[in-house]
Amino acid sequence: MNNFLIDLANHINYIAAIALFVIGLYTVLTHSNLLKKVIGINIMETSVFLFFVSIGFVNDGSSPIIDLGSLGKIYVNPVPSALILTGIVVAVSITAYSLSLIIRLYQAYGTMDLDEILAMRSEVNND
Amino acid sequence: MIKHIPILVQVSLLASAVLFPLLKKNKATKSKLLTVALLAVSAVFLLISLIDVQQNGAFDYNFGNYESFIGIQYSVNAFSTFMAFFVITLALIIMIFSTKDIDHEIPQGSISQYYTLVLILLFSMVGMIYTNDLFNMYVFMEILSLTSCAIISIKSKKENYLAALRYLVLNTIGSLSVLFGIALLYMVSGHLNMSMMSQSISMIWQLYPTNILIATGFMLTGFAIKAAVFPLHIWLPDAHSNAPTPSSALLSSLVVKIYVFAVYKLLFDVLGKDIVVALGIPTVITVFAASGMLFGSIFAIGQKDIKRMLAYSSVAQIGYIFLGLSLMTEAGLAAGLFHVVSHGLMKTALFLSAGSIIYYRNKRDIRDLDGIGIEMPVTMIVFAIAAMGMIGIPGTNGFMSKLYLSFAVLGAGQPLLLAVILLSSYLNAVYYLPIVISAFLKEPKSKNISMHIEVLPLPMLFSLVTIGFLCLLTGFYPTLVMNFITQAVNIFLS
Repeated sequence: MNNFLIDLANHINYIAAIALFVIGLYTVLTHSNLLKKVIGINIMETSVFLFFVSIGFVNDGSSPIIDLGSLGKIYVNPVPSALILTGIVVAVSITAYSLSLIIRLYQAYGTMDLDEILAMRSEVNND
Repeated sequence: MIKHIPILVQVSLLASAVLFPLLKKNKATKSKLLTVALLAVSAVFLLISLIDVQQNGAFDYNFGNYESFIGIQYSVNAFSTFMAFFVITLALIIMIFSTKDIDHEIPQGSISQYYTLVLILLFSMVGMIYTNDLFNMYVFMEILSLTSCAIISIKSKKENYLAALRYLVLNTIGSLSVLFGIALLYMVSGHLNMSMMSQSISMIWQLYPTNILIATGFMLTGFAIKAAVFPLHIWLPDAHSNAPTPSSALLSSLVVKIYVFAVYKLLFDVLGKDIVVALGIPTVITVFAASGMLFGSIFAIGQKDIKRMLAYSSVAQIGYIFLGLSLMTEAGLAAGLFHVVSHGLMKTALFLSAGSIIYYRNKRDIRDLDGIGIEMPVTMIVFAIAAMGMIGIPGTNGFMSKLYLSFAVLGAGQPLLLAVILLSSYLNAVYYLPIVISAFLKEPKSKNISMHIEVLPLPMLFSLVTIGFLCLLTGFYPTLVMNFITQAVNIFLS
């Protein structure tokens, strides 16, 4: 039991990432409010970024700046953090684009609720 | 110089895309002409690069001469050069068609923006074909998904916004799954370069089979959402049928195929055939591919809108490609890639001819198409050729890809799948043949129509005839394409 708890504490970053991923996916799939879907996507993105950054972490590692006095030190892997900077930029652009689409949908239908929009569309189709 | 062609083509696509918003007078006309000219030049250069690789062999292109473990790498080989050439050539044909058609589809003010988006889309597709780096592939994939949503929503109709938003949400879930998978693979291997990743995975995969299985699962799900493999196809019909015709053709015949290439790269370049078979992945793909082949066609039978029907038909055809892939044999992989090419040609022909009908007569409903073959003979002959190909009538490229696929299935010792292929072809006939028959043999509703060549704008007619000719050419001389594909498959399996 104790070992299990220690394992849990040691891998808390992975568990948190998976939990956030699932929470985000649940929000995207179950909420009919379009804005909440976008928030869900953002939560999923955050979880993946957390996961990616945390796999580069090394216990007791220092920041990866090489100077002559620091030979033999252990460094944190800088590559995942650098990659995630790109990932954040992508996430921002996706959020901006989806929000602009939601604004246009709101102007066209007068609602941000996906179920209501679909109901309006099926009424039009049945006429 | 020849070694720099892939990156030069990409840079020129990106630079022109940025240039279009800066144009002053006659924005729309200038951007149309520039796009077509640029694509024609790019196609010529990619052909030179293709011939060079055939003669002098494949090579890896390192950006800025960084070592491959730290920098980004393009692998320029028989597969990537051929597919890049195919993508740009097909895009050129679609863009020639779009120069006249697009005026009817989207607001006059956004035409120049449309070509900006298309060029960025092509930029990212070429990048995804060449890249040998997983994270680089992710970045290109995100550019591709944003621009492919944008070329749907540019039509500024209510339905387009909804279709684009739905596509975007599912696309993002797919991209995030892929990124998660990349993170898991990076955890195991410590590299992002595909060749180095494959080396370290082949050494240590027995230590972390669960990790690699979960990573592959995440990435395959992500790519499957984007490539519209059967149960994950729900975004496709809305997105492809509401989009402007040139966008539909681009999305259906090229964009979904790029994700197929990504799956090929993941399974064979990164993991390698032995590990994939040992993890039991092919069986899963077979099940989804076979069900997609049947259900996609069954859904298509019930459709009334012609573009929606074509969109559902794409779901079935993606099933063929993944079926070839899942056999894990040389013949199966080759059949899958051949169907990528032949379906690209056929779907372009179908979407462009459907677009011409909408342009000329403003008819979208299949039941209104009686006698349309007499009003628009050229369009409907091209439609008929491509529809024959979809069914698998000898002489068309669709027949050849079905033949290759059937031989591959028998070679892999799974005759049950042959029955699925035959049944799916039969279902294709059920929804394609009635259109062709009623177009040519039924009497049109208005009586006083004499048969003459329709007065479509010349660029549209030119694209239609070219694409119909290419469908027949690859049907009669499949070795033109197959020679390159056999080499590409050897790269994947070596």
